[in-house]
Amino acid sequence: DDKVYRLKMAEGWPTNFPIFGDSPRNMAKMAEEMSGGRLKITIDSANKHKAPLAIFDMVKGGQYDMGHTASYYWKGKDPNTLFFTTMPFGMTAPEQYAWFYHGGGMELMQKVYKRHRMLSFPGGNTGIQMGGWFRKEINSLEDLQGLKMRIPGFAGEILAELGAKPTNIATGELYTSLERNTIDALEWVGPSLDLRMGFHKIAPYYYTGWHEPATELQFLINERSWKKLPKDLQEILRVAMRTASYDMYTQSTHASGENWATMKQEYPNIQVKRFPDEVIEAMRAANTKLLKEKAEANPMAKEIIESQAKYLKQVRAWTNIADKQYLDSIAGE
Amino acid sequence: MSSTSVPLLVRLENGLNWVSDRLGTFSALLFLLLLANVFYDVLARYLWNDVSIALQELEWHLFAAMFLFGVPYTLRAGGHVRVDLIYERLSPNARAWIDFMGTMVFLFPFCLLVGWFGIDFVKEAYELGESSGDPGGLSQRWIIKAAIPVSFAFMAMSGLGLLLNSVNTLLGHHKPIYHKTDL
Amino acid sequence: MTGVLMFAAALVLLLLGFPVAFTFGGVALLFGVFSEGMEMFAFMPYRVMSIMQNTVMMAIPLFIFMGLVLQKTRLAEQLLESMGTLFGRVRGGIAISTILVGALLAASTGVVGASVVAMGLISLPVMLKYQYDKRLACGTICASGTLGQIIPPSIILILLGDVMGIPVGDLFQAAIGPGLLLIAAYIVYILIYTWLKPEAAPAMPMEEGVDRKALYLKAIRAIVPPLALILVVLGSIFGGIATPTESAALGGAGAVVLAFFYKQFSWKMIFDSSIETVKVTAMVFAILLGATAFSMAFSYTGGEEVVEELLLGLPGEKWGFLVLSMLVILVLGFFIDFVEIAFIIVPILVPIAEILGINMTWFAILIAMNLQTSFLTPPFGFSLFYLKGVAPDGVTTMDIYKGVMPFIALQVLVLLALLVFPEYLGFQ
Ligand code: NA
Ligand code: NA
Repeated sequence: DDKVYRLKMAEGWPTNFPIFGDSPRNMAKMAEEMSGGRLKITIDSANKHKAPLAIFDMVKGGQYDMGHTASYYWKGKDPNTLFFTTMPFGMTAPEQYAWFYHGGGMELMQKVYKRHRMLSFPGGNTGIQMGGWFRKEINSLEDLQGLKMRIPGFAGEILAELGAKPTNIATGELYTSLERNTIDALEWVGPSLDLRMGFHKIAPYYYTGWHEPATELQFLINERSWKKLPKDLQEILRVAMRTASYDMYTQSTHASGENWATMKQEYPNIQVKRFPDEVIEAMRAANTKLLKEKAEANPMAKEIIESQAKYLKQVRAWTNIADKQYLDSIAGE
Repeated sequence: MSSTSVPLLVRLENGLNWVSDRLGTFSALLFLLLLANVFYDVLARYLWNDVSIALQELEWHLFAAMFLFGVPYTLRAGGHVRVDLIYERLSPNARAWIDFMGTMVFLFPFCLLVGWFGIDFVKEAYELGESSGDPGGLSQRWIIKAAIPVSFAFMAMSGLGLLLNSVNTLLGHHKPIYHKTDL
Repeated sequence: MTGVLMFAAALVLLLLGFPVAFTFGGVALLFGVFSEGMEMFAFMPYRVMSIMQNTVMMAIPLFIFMGLVLQKTRLAEQLLESMGTLFGRVRGGIAISTILVGALLAASTGVVGASVVAMGLISLPVMLKYQYDKRLACGTICASGTLGQIIPPSIILILLGDVMGIPVGDLFQAAIGPGLLLIAAYIVYILIYTWLKPEAAPAMPMEEGVDRKALYLKAIRAIVPPLALILVVLGSIFGGIATPTESAALGGAGAVVLAFFYKQFSWKMIFDSSIETVKVTAMVFAILLGATAFSMAFSYTGGEEVVEELLLGLPGEKWGFLVLSMLVILVLGFFIDFVEIAFIIVPILVPIAEILGINMTWFAILIAMNLQTSFLTPPFGFSLFYLKGVAPDGVTTMDIYKGVMPFIALQVLVLLALLVFPEYLGFQ
C-alpha cells in the first residue's frame, strides 16, 4: 500500500518560532522520511490560522487533523486538561516522562481527551521554567502582598492565595509594562526564550523556578484522522512524536545553557534569587489546598492528582539519592 | 406597486432601520461601560493596588460586543467606508444597483456563512461549560461567543435594510443613503 | 494563483464603491469557497474571536472617544488654532501643529487606526475651516497619524522583535532617531510647500492692533489644557500607571473632565460622542473582519507560496538583497497589511540577512519604516480608509490618495537615508 496520507497540523506558535516550533517541524520531517513519503504532515503556524487559543476546537472539529500546543491552555474548556503540562511542586522532566510512559500518565491523558474525540501525546519539554523576573526582591511573604505579576493559569491562582495580584497584560505590552512598573514581576519561560524578550535589561532579579518544573507541550490528534491511518503509519507517527518531544527537551537544555551564558556575560548584574523558605512553604500549602479542592470537585481530577502524587513520591525518593545527591556532593566549586 | 400612502417595502425598511438604530444605542452604552471599566481598573490598580482578573476580562467582553453590534448600526447609518472614485459620480439608480448587487453577492453570503459557523462555536463552548483559564476569570464564555452569530445575523438584517433601501430607490420611493450625514 | 486573482478581483470590485469591509469579505468568500469549499469558513469564528480578544486594539475606541470629545467641546480646535497663532506668520502652522500633536499621540500608542481617526476628527475640520488645501490636509493627517508605528511604543516593532528575535527595548531605542528624522522631514516639506504655494495653507489671520503679548498669552491658555491632557496620557504610560492601551481610557476620561472645566459638559454631548465612537470603531473593525477573511482565503489558497517563491529567488549579495527586499515589502505593502508581512515575509528574509552579516536591528528598523509606508499606499492603505471614514462629505477618496503621495515620497526618502547613511542614525 503506497497511498499517501496527508495530515494538516496547526501549531500554537508564530512562523519559525524557535524550540517550540522546531518540535513539530522535526516530527513532521521524521514521520515523512520514516514512512518513505507515505505520511505527509503540513504545519500551519499561528500567523496563518490566527487562532492559537482555539487549536483544541479546530482539531476537535476536524478543521485540522493535528495540533501542537500545550494541554494546560484548555483548562477553561475542560479542567482536567490542566494536569498534563506541568504542575507546581510537581515532577521534573525525566520524572514526568517516566510517569507518562511507564506510570500510567498516558492512559489518564487519553481518558481525558477521549471525551473530546481526540488523542494527546507529549510534544516537547522546556525543562524547568524560571520563577520570573522581579523588579524588587522578595524577602518575605509580606513582599508578595499586592505584588502585581503577570502569571497566568494555576500558578497565578496559588500566588493569588498568598495575596499577590495576578495581572493580565497583552504580550506586546509586557516589556513596556514591566519597564514602567505597571507590573512588578512576570514569568515567561527561561533563558532559552526570555533572552529575546529583553526582560533582563529592566528587571534585576531572576527567581528560580517552582511553578513549572517540566512544561510539556502537546501533540493533539483528531480521533477520526488517527483511525484513518493504517497501523504502521500510526506507529511511525507515535515514534516521531515521542522522539521529537525528547529532542525538544535536549534542545531546551542546550539553548538555556547557551543563552544563560550570553545573559550573564552581557548583564553581569543579573541576580539569581531563590524564594525564601517561608514563601516556598506558603506556596506549597496553597498548592495542596487548591489541589484538594479540585480533587473534591471532580472524580477524574482526583484520579489524576492521586496518580501524580503517588508516582512523584516514589520516583522522587530515587531522584533525591541520585541526581540531587550527585549535584550536591560534587558542588564544591 | 400601488399608491398606498406608505408602501409596504418602505415600512419594512423603516422597521429594520429602527432595530439597527437601537443596536447603535446599545453599543454606545457598552462603550461607556467599557470606558468606565478600564478607567476603574487603572485607578484600582494604582490607588488601591487591587487587580481583578474578572474586571480585566470584562474589558474585552464589552469592547468586542460593542464593535460587533456597532457594525450593523453603522451599515444602516452609512458609516462604512466606500472607495468612491466612481461611486460618487454615479446616478442614484446606479448606486442603488451597486448596493443591491453588493448586498446579494458579498454581504449576505459573508454574514450568513460566518454567522452559521458561529452557531457551532457557541454550542461547543456551552456544552463544555467553557470558562476563562485564568485565576478569578469570567465563566460562561459561550455568552460572549454568542455575540458572533447574533451580531452577524444582525449584520445580515441591516443588509436587508440596505437592500430594501436600494429597491425602494429603484422603485422611486426615495433616495439611497450614501455616506454619513451626521458625522 | 488563486491568491493573485483574488487581489486583482478585490482591486476591481472595491472600485464599484460597495463598502470596503463587505467587499473584502465577499471576495474572500467567493474565491475561498470556489477553491477550498464552504468548510474553510469554519475558521472564521476563531479569527473573529482573536480580534475580539486583542486587547491592544481597545485603544482604538478609547482614543476615538477622546478625539470626539475634544472636537465637540471645541477644545481641539482651540488647541490647533492657538498653536497656529504661535507660529505667527508662518504658513502651514496648523499642519505643523497637527504633525506635532500626531507625534505626541504616536508616542502614546502604536495603534494606527486610533491616531489616524483621532487626528482626522480633531484637525481635519480645523484645517478645512482655515481654507487649507484638502489634499495637503488629508496627507498631513494620514502621515502624522501613521507615525505611531515607527515612534515607540509600536506594534510593528514589537511584532518584528518577536519574529526577528531582537529584544523589543533595543528596537524601541533604535527607532527614535529615524522617527524624529521623519517628523522633521514632514515639517520641512510643509514649510517648503507652503512657501511655494501660499494659498494651500494660509497663515492664521492676525487681528490688527491687537497686542502681540496678549495674543500669545491667550494662545498659551488655550494650548495648555488639551496639551496637558495629552501629556497626562503619555505620563501615565511613562509613570507606569497605565499600559499604553489603558492610557487611552485615561485620555477619554480626561477629555470629559476638561469639558467639565470649560463648561462644555452635557450628557447629550457624552452620548453623541459615544454613538459616533461606535460608528467609527465599527467602521474600523468591519474592515478588520473583512480583511481577516481575505487574508484567510489568500493564505489557504496558496497565496503565501507564490510570495515565498518570489522571495527565495532574491540574490545573495548585500546591497542587491537590501534593495530588492525593501522593494518587495513596499510593493506588497500596497496590497496586504503589515501583520501579514511581518509574519510571512520577514521570516523568509531573516536567515538571508543573517548570512549576509547585516545588522539585524538596523534591518528591523528599515522594515518597520517600510511597513509604515504600507498604511499610506493606495488603494489598500488602511490609514486612507480610516481617514475617509471620518472625513466630511466634501473630501473624496481621490483627495486622500493624492494627498498622501508626497508623504509617501518623504518616507521613501527617509528610508533611503537610513539605507545609505546608517552611521548617522546610530547604526554601525
Ligand atoms: Na511560563
Ligand atoms: Na507609537
